[in-house]
Amino acid sequence: MSHETWQEQLRRGSLDLAILLTVSSGPRYGLAIIQHLEAFTDLVVTEGTIYPILGRLTREGLLDARWVEGEAPHPRKYYRLTPLGAKRLEHMTREWRAFAEKIARLIDAARRDDHAAH
Amino acid sequence: MQLTDTGESRVNGYLFVLERSLKTFLPGDVVRDAVREIESHLRERIAAAGAAPNEREVLEKILAELGPPLRVAQAYSAERTIDEAVATGRFVPMIRAIWHLAVSTVAGFFAAIGLMFGYLVGVGSIAVAVIKPFFPENAGIQFVHGVPVGFAAQFPVKPGIDLRGGYWVIPLALAFGLAVLVATHRAGRRYLAWWRERRLS
Repeated sequence: MSHETWQEQLRRGSLDLAILLTVSSGPRYGLAIIQHLEAFTDLVVTEGTIYPILGRLTREGLLDARWVEGEAPHPRKYYRLTPLGAKRLEHMTREWRAFAEKIARLIDAARRDDHAAH
Repeated sequence: MQLTDTGESRVNGYLFVLERSLKTFLPGDVVRDAVREIESHLRERIAAAGAAPNEREVLEKILAELGPPLRVAQAYSAERTIDEAVATGRFVPMIRAIWHLAVSTVAGFFAAIGLMFGYLVGVGSIAVAVIKPFFPENAGIQFVHGVPVGFAAQFPVKPGIDLRGGYWVIPLALAFGLAVLVATHRAGRRYLAWWRERRLS
């Protein structure tokens, strides 16, 4: 597997979690979600591909979507976390932290072994 | 930024291509909602761009960041059609998803050919069972050099074509057709589930 493929898989695998985290603090519309993701991560490569993921998360019942008119010159579609989404987010966050800690320990151990060898 | 007529045409052209592409795979209400959301994104980005000396340059940058309409449509199709097909196993979403894979990947193209062959054999066998009571001489089991090769119906039966079997062919053709259809459908669903897992992993 090339480095780019690995990076792409890592990006795709964490995008759902990143989106759920973005709307966990309150409802946001599509562009606001993208801008938030762009401010904190480099997960958004093509902006237009975020919308289908938002659609899937909505179909899965993790997000609730509704159109709001009159707030801006054009209608905005707002997404908010559902109770099911909040539960899933809690679970995903816990798993992510545990996973990241294990990998970090593995990296530290590898570095220690490397130092000891030299 | 207030768009000129040229700029408006460019935006409308983008949305037109997106809508046309989405219509190939998705139901009308989903297409309308998706295009509305992408238009909202574009209008928001354009409004935020402020007064720009070079409208074309700014607009092309916004559209490039959004992604080519075909790529956006493909992302919608991948998320929507394959998920729906795997989750429900319904015939129309299955066909949509298989079509999507057939036009997007080489492996998907060959998988689609295999699945279509399975569906055709299944439907063809059931058709023979339906035709048999009305045209008993035109439907049955086809033999080539004394070897049965499958269920067939011909109008009229060409010379040299050996169609055999009485009314007992009906339950046999029905059972065979249904078995092939179910097996093909399950294989298609498994392939789509595998493809989805591979995409998400």
